[in-house]
Amino acid sequence: MIRIAAVGDVHLDEDVLGRFRPALDQLPEHADVLLLAGDLTRHGTEEEARCVATEFGDLAVPVVAVLGNHDYHCDQVPQVVRVLEDAGIIVLEGDGTVLDCSGTRLGVAGAKGFGGGFAGRCASEFGEPEMKAFVRTTSAIAEKLGAALRDLECDVRVALTHYSPVPDTLAGEPPEIYPFLGSYLLGQAIDATDTALALHGHAHHGTERGRTPGGVRVRNVAHPVIKQAYSVYRLTDAQVSPNAAPGR
Amino acid sequence: MNDRPLDGYVEAEVQRALAEDIGVAEQGITIVRREHTLVLCGEVESAARRDEVVRVMGERFPDVTIETDIGVIRAGAPTAAEELT
Repeated sequence: MIRIAAVGDVHLDEDVLGRFRPALDQLPEHADVLLLAGDLTRHGTEEEARCVATEFGDLAVPVVAVLGNHDYHCDQVPQVVRVLEDAGIIVLEGDGTVLDCSGTRLGVAGAKGFGGGFAGRCASEFGEPEMKAFVRTTSAIAEKLGAALRDLECDVRVALTHYSPVPDTLAGEPPEIYPFLGSYLLGQAIDATDTALALHGHAHHGTERGRTPGGVRVRNVAHPVIKQAYSVYRLTDAQVSPNAAPGR
Repeated sequence: MNDRPLDGYVEAEVQRALAEDIGVAEQGITIVRREHTLVLCGEVESAARRDEVVRVMGERFPDVTIETDIGVIRAGAPTAAEELT
């Protein structure tokens, strides 16, 4: 049994400091690890990252994060990452990490992800350079996410993104903006490997539960969706298989 | 003076201001266009942010009647876990 706590879209700044802390102090009773699904800050400044480090650093369980679009806004990504890493938070972007959870190896591969939309209603790499660059950005990120999942040597794999890999968990958002909320390419990358769970944020009006076409459970853990400090998912032994095969 | 017609252009301007105004930066607020009023609905991370939405929108759109129904997202510990079998 592995217990995974997760939340995204906490949008920390000084005015939010301390709001999550009482619940986080109880975290070790509920979970083995905390995953943060991006949009940790409001504007992506170094000062806001320090607030994240204060709120989510120094916990009794490992903390793994990806960044979100808000964390890119002020073009201070390297500084934001450094502040988080200095606080002991593992920040993923197209790579992965393996954690020992009471003898079980939990592999987490993460990437921010990007938009593009879903089957039958997605952007194509065609036309203006700006349009092609948009789609290529998502393709490149999805490719790295897929490779990171594949390269994990672990007993159970979890994918962590900010943008959504499926439309299911966007239900509640206007369909017109789905292409700005996620991409099927992320789902395809997740389905290419034996992944037990995919977590994302970004869609504040979305729905918590969904599945990839390949059957991987997807959970939208955006704070406005889960309406609590974090949600906890327990992966039972059925999802945890020693030396989980990378191929599907 | 609240005499600007409430058309789609006003709605678009307000929506962009919610996201792009550096003091607001909220992308999760829904705008409902009523006959004489724009209603802003959603949730933010603090009461101070809700107050700032009201202040900034009033300042930027003095000729539009804007009502707000914005809550603060709860941040308590979970009472139950989901078992993925």
